[in-house]
Amino acid sequence: MLSTGILLAITLIIFSCKKSALDTSDPNNLTTGNYYKTAAQLKQGVNAIYAILHQNNLVSREWYYLHDTRSDEVAAGGGQLEVPRGQLLNNTDDPTNSVMNSVWNGWYNVIFRANVVTDNAPKVTDNVADVKESVGEAKFLRGWAYFDLVSMWGGVPLVTSVPKSPSEFKPRASVDAVYAQIIQDLTDAAAVLPAKSATDKGRATAAAANAMLGRVLMQKGDFAGAKAAFLKIPTSGPDGYTLTPRYLDNFELATEFNPESIFEVVFVDKGDNGYNWGGESASEEQSTVRNQEYCPVAWRNLIPSNKYLNEFESTATGAAKTDPRFSYSVYQTGDTFNNGNDVLTDGAQNGNSSVVNGVTKKISWRKFMIIYQESASTAGFHPGGNNQRIIRYAEILLDLAECDNELGDISGAVALLNQVRDRADVAMPHYPTAQFPVASKSDVVKAIMHEKMVEMGDEEVRNIDILRWRKAGYFTTEPIANFKPGRDELLPIPQAELDNNPLVAGHQNPGY
Amino acid sequence: MKRKYLLNSYSLTIFLPVLLSVVVLNSAFALPKIEHAKALAKAKNFNVDLLVNGKVTDESGVALPGVTITVKGTTVATTTDPNGVYHIRVPNAQAVLVYTFVGYLSQEVNINGNIVLNVQLKADNKSLNEIIVIGYGSQKRAAVTGAVSSVSGKTLSSLPVGGVDQALQGRVAGLTVVNNGSPGNAPIIQIRGVSSVNSDSNPLYIIDGVPGGIGGIDPRDIQSVDVLKDASSAAIYGSRATNGVIIITTKKGSNNNNVALNVDSYVGFQELTKRYDLLNTQQYVKYERALDGNAFPTPIGVPPRLQDQNFNLPIYPGAKQTFAETNTDWQSAYFKKGVLQQHDVSLSGGGERSRFFTSAGYFDQDGITQGTYYNRKNFRMNSDHNVNKLITIGETFNVSSTRQRFTIDPGNRTGITNVVRMLPYIPVYNPNNPGGFMGPQNSFDGADPVNPVEFALINENRNYGFSIHGNAYLTAKFTPWLTFKSTYGIDYGTNRQEQYTPIFNDGGTGSSPIASITENTNSGTSTLYSQQLTFDKTFAGKHHVSAVAVYEVQTNRGDSQNSFGNQNNNTIRTLQNATNTTTNYTYSTNVLQSLVGRVGYDFEGKYLLSGSIRRDGLSVWAPGHKYQNFPAASIGWKVDQEDFMKDIKSISEFKLRAGYGVTGINGTVLGNYPYVSNVSAGGTTYPFNNLATGVNQGNGSFYNSLSNYSLHWEITKSTNIGFDLGLFQNAFTFSAEVYKRKTDNLILNVPLPPSFGFGSNPNSNVGSMQNIGIELTAGYHKASGDFKYDITGVFGLDRNKVLSLTGSANGSIVSGGDADFGGGGPLTNTVVGQPIQSFYGYVVQGIFQNAAEVSGHATQTGAAPGDLKFKDRDGNGVIDANDREFLGSYLPKFTYSLNYAATYKNFDLSLFFQGVYGNKIFNAEKIILQGMPRLFNASTDVLKAWTPGNTNTDIPRAVSGDPNGNVRPSSRWIESGSYFRLKNLQFGYSLPTTWLKAATNNNINKVRIYLSSTNLFTITKYTGLDPEIGSKNGTLTNGIDYGQYPTPRTFQVGLQATF
Repeated sequence: MLSTGILLAITLIIFSCKKSALDTSDPNNLTTGNYYKTAAQLKQGVNAIYAILHQNNLVSREWYYLHDTRSDEVAAGGGQLEVPRGQLLNNTDDPTNSVMNSVWNGWYNVIFRANVVTDNAPKVTDNVADVKESVGEAKFLRGWAYFDLVSMWGGVPLVTSVPKSPSEFKPRASVDAVYAQIIQDLTDAAAVLPAKSATDKGRATAAAANAMLGRVLMQKGDFAGAKAAFLKIPTSGPDGYTLTPRYLDNFELATEFNPESIFEVVFVDKGDNGYNWGGESASEEQSTVRNQEYCPVAWRNLIPSNKYLNEFESTATGAAKTDPRFSYSVYQTGDTFNNGNDVLTDGAQNGNSSVVNGVTKKISWRKFMIIYQESASTAGFHPGGNNQRIIRYAEILLDLAECDNELGDISGAVALLNQVRDRADVAMPHYPTAQFPVASKSDVVKAIMHEKMVEMGDEEVRNIDILRWRKAGYFTTEPIANFKPGRDELLPIPQAELDNNPLVAGHQNPGY
Repeated sequence: MKRKYLLNSYSLTIFLPVLLSVVVLNSAFALPKIEHAKALAKAKNFNVDLLVNGKVTDESGVALPGVTITVKGTTVATTTDPNGVYHIRVPNAQAVLVYTFVGYLSQEVNINGNIVLNVQLKADNKSLNEIIVIGYGSQKRAAVTGAVSSVSGKTLSSLPVGGVDQALQGRVAGLTVVNNGSPGNAPIIQIRGVSSVNSDSNPLYIIDGVPGGIGGIDPRDIQSVDVLKDASSAAIYGSRATNGVIIITTKKGSNNNNVALNVDSYVGFQELTKRYDLLNTQQYVKYERALDGNAFPTPIGVPPRLQDQNFNLPIYPGAKQTFAETNTDWQSAYFKKGVLQQHDVSLSGGGERSRFFTSAGYFDQDGITQGTYYNRKNFRMNSDHNVNKLITIGETFNVSSTRQRFTIDPGNRTGITNVVRMLPYIPVYNPNNPGGFMGPQNSFDGADPVNPVEFALINENRNYGFSIHGNAYLTAKFTPWLTFKSTYGIDYGTNRQEQYTPIFNDGGTGSSPIASITENTNSGTSTLYSQQLTFDKTFAGKHHVSAVAVYEVQTNRGDSQNSFGNQNNNTIRTLQNATNTTTNYTYSTNVLQSLVGRVGYDFEGKYLLSGSIRRDGLSVWAPGHKYQNFPAASIGWKVDQEDFMKDIKSISEFKLRAGYGVTGINGTVLGNYPYVSNVSAGGTTYPFNNLATGVNQGNGSFYNSLSNYSLHWEITKSTNIGFDLGLFQNAFTFSAEVYKRKTDNLILNVPLPPSFGFGSNPNSNVGSMQNIGIELTAGYHKASGDFKYDITGVFGLDRNKVLSLTGSANGSIVSGGDADFGGGGPLTNTVVGQPIQSFYGYVVQGIFQNAAEVSGHATQTGAAPGDLKFKDRDGNGVIDANDREFLGSYLPKFTYSLNYAATYKNFDLSLFFQGVYGNKIFNAEKIILQGMPRLFNASTDVLKAWTPGNTNTDIPRAVSGDPNGNVRPSSRWIESGSYFRLKNLQFGYSLPTTWLKAATNNNINKVRIYLSSTNLFTITKYTGLDPEIGSKNGTLTNGIDYGQYPTPRTFQVGLQATF
């Protein structure tokens, strides 16, 4: 029995000595406790917000689908349009709609990462200027996120700091409270962000923040405030913005970050046909599938609506000049592509035809497509690297025109519209025209609505404009087909939010 | 593809020499000791009176080698030689000889002065003396108080499967095994139902005393498998035992001074059992118009390809055949017959001091789909040696090398989904295209499936695995009642995964302008250091006390190295000078420290008591939560040993048992640091200034979860009550168990509202769940006469219910949603009061026949005549998400199996039936086959779609865009999953032993040849390819058929020989 006792004693000694062996820690990762301590780390946190922004949930895919299908500029290209996208287009969506859920999740992901930056910034002291700029970028992106959310869903949960426990639920805030937050964020951002020459291409600038702030104030009906914000955008010098002489510069690869471009979401094609469906790594794919989704010779899921196509001034319908922006914005059968080497045929474009001024033909989107420089076989599957222009100077001019008109300065508004029509390769006759007189505020409203549709078609602003103009009573007929008043003004709150947020459950938008 | 040879030359050229050298080595140390032992015996110089000799045979007169013969009351013993002959010296003419042999009833014979004693031993059907392996020891079956089931190695090796897990299907009441993919993918194993929501359900495998993986183990090396099902027996493994414990004991040699060489070999093939009925080209063209011509909101034009001017073109320049004339059968192109073969050679033997078992095996399974196969080569050496009366040393050692080719599904679309969707007028191949295949052009064809054959063959994904599992032990027997055992074990496994995609372009949906190379190497090392003290003594002939104390430390380390890069040619398949290269290396570790104690007591073999406790400390939990105790206790009453029962001759065994125990879920399944929220520093990137690499690579850092410093063990408390009954010398046997298992502190990924913005959900201890079940095993064993047979039936019933879910806001966890399979809405929901992950969706109430029916029903957005009518469950006049309800469970109401084994003279037959009853399958693949949301190829069912002129159908109208959401998750896709299957049929013939020995000059002892088939037939109402449905990725998606690789049918012919 002595040996037993010795053995047991040894056992116990080993056991008590080895206790510390259980205190292991992850050798591969830093933790929230020891990161975000320096300005450089904080900047990495900011970069991670941008990374979310250009993933599948947002600007490389679902974001433009959601905006486009809520506008009247697009129609189904054919049978390939997937069911959730078709639901949005036809206003048959419900709280489980995957596209809408993706955008909601994506924006809240942006907000969370922005909150990580704003929460940690006060404790970072090693480079005050850099920290300030980081906070400005975070607030710009958070402001944009909430603007998209409040425009499409109404009052949403307002989260402005990182949740510390799984039960820190936030109820739906009022629309005004969300706007107040957005305006605060964008105002703060505009105050600290640098001009474009002082930062990387693709980062938020003071001009981008002022442009976004102007959009937001306009949507809220504060046209004076909006105008003030827009006017802070410089128009000359190295940090100035101006219209490019060539309209297509705004949609092509070689002319990214041109003088008209105020904010872009950056994509790069690594040449491997790779696309990031949602993963994250240090060397993740950086492409967008927009080039794929709308491409005339690829999926062609959404095509321009007849309404949009017929909006363009045309000699066929009595205009003095056919608007050249028509053929800059869309491809039609007979157009050349692949650097002029190939001709687009009806047969190469699957799916539905369009009717323009009484003529039936196949028409597809051209904006942001890159078949202008590549063949149909390459385009069969090719996620591209074309940057998505989010805000460009032409929109600012059109928005300023709307502000002036709303503030009573009709002639100022018309001058701004004509400035847009004066682009070298557009050169449309000045307002007033036979079809668009500009004698009254309401005349100018019509001109603005026309000009913005043909200038900014498929650039994800029309649906937001519709919300504002519908409220102002500017539409004689409802622009959205199958629109159900009292329901389709807003999207349904996603099912996952209702299911998992007890403070939101029971507070669905009307009609769902 | 000349990879296959019926007798693989590799196995012959490599393994036989290896095997032979092992034979020589083992013999070198084993055999001389036999001689040595004989010399020792002589030297002891007995007072010899009589030399008794004779022959021991079985009931049919076949000689039994290796039978131990002991002179009762002495230590004098011997064993029979290969011819069953023995010689033994006995002290006097009245000595009693005891004949014992595994699997036979022992017999005592008084020699009564005879010097020749020929003895026949009777086979022991259900021996009370059968040794059951339990945790940290073994017990006679009679003394077992928990729920332990044993399966012999012979039973396990009767199926032509590569893995132990697959071989266990249907063999044990309460243990379910479900096929889950192509060759080399492990099936899903569950013991007594699901006890955890998130964590994997795999039982703990203990191989020769050391925990480890079973991937490299050849079923033919196994002596026995013992399944510890209830907590009173499993709790000795504490924190890892909730899913049950499967103890695998590999073969040892025998001490019979003999060497036996066994060859076991079979060759066969496997094939698909069922096919879908898909549209041919002509039908497809018709269907396209029905669908696209009726698109919502406006009709869609004929895709350019189907227009005459294109459809009548040759399929490629130079081809004679046009698209219109092409009719590719994609099922025939994708599915194929696969060769299946296994060859094992083993050698076992030994002398009085040493014994050994060594084997080499080769298993090769070709998939029934393109681009899948699995093979394994394994080599084992087990031996043990009695150094002296005090010390025994032994070791087991297994090496295996595996190779698997597998497919990675493109997106969510499995190969089978693409087979269904692929256009019949497109040929498989186009020699003009880089890569040689042809795919559809989405713009031109109006549909974008992927050529499934191309995808499976052009993307090469392979796993090269290598594992070593070894342990060495030392036993010191201080006294007959006190033993010390020290075990040191290592389990090392490494896998190199290679993924290669060349530059190719099929002219449509499949292309890659650059070659991609991925090389991932993962390795894991687990070491076990275990010290065990065992006490076993009977006091006053009545009080039997046993006790075990163990101290054990297990450490694990996993290393992972991943590299990726592109090449601009198809020649170089390494990363030499590759572009876009990335690399990553990580490692992580965990440590488990345990103290174990168990005490057993029985009184006169009648009243049995046992209690155990294990204290585990595991590194993966947060400080303060690392330790937990896992107690258990059980009692048994051998009623048959009571005086009042002894007169009832018909009852040979009757035992009542009850037990209770506490177990846990292996915390390491959550990862090694599951409570900490990590910052992925440099874990993401954004290409400022249009630069994708260089300065921007890894320029972003983020985290995406909440830390949870209070995360701790999931605890399962289980009660088991059972009895064992044997009648007529155990010709009839019957066991029944009733159990209840309740899991508390269930660890769930608590779904956070998306507005929190985290990409992932934190693990938290929330909720509880219970399983209640019954298990029955009954058998009849006819063991005498020329015609012997054995029937065993197994029945298991389990009811699962979620008792609480406090963590999620509305007490609901949904899963399984997928845009392709029903539009994205969840397919399962887990809530309190329902079984885990019950199917969830709308209830179909028929098809709207006219506009009046549409307007008369609750408002259903998008509905028109011909669409499905959904039930307004809440009666609020609107069909919305609140109208979804529970549609059934993937869990069977019960499972059953029947095993029949018979021998008649030299013939043998075995039949193994297996089935499940009462479960549902979510046939998501049916959405692909007949859902019609947009144009793809489909099942011929779509030709029966509703039209105003065809109203008597259950297929709704064809309408591209599906405005009514006819594809939404609903009762339409729920089918009965019950099936009854002839899992195995085997018919064998053994050459007559006496003839064989004479003909081969005693060189060959046994030759058996057999024919066998698995899955010969299945009776089921399920319309998919196979009712055995696994899980997509373990996340509450069991029983959803997303187009799963089906269980094949196999036929094979085999040979077994003993030399």
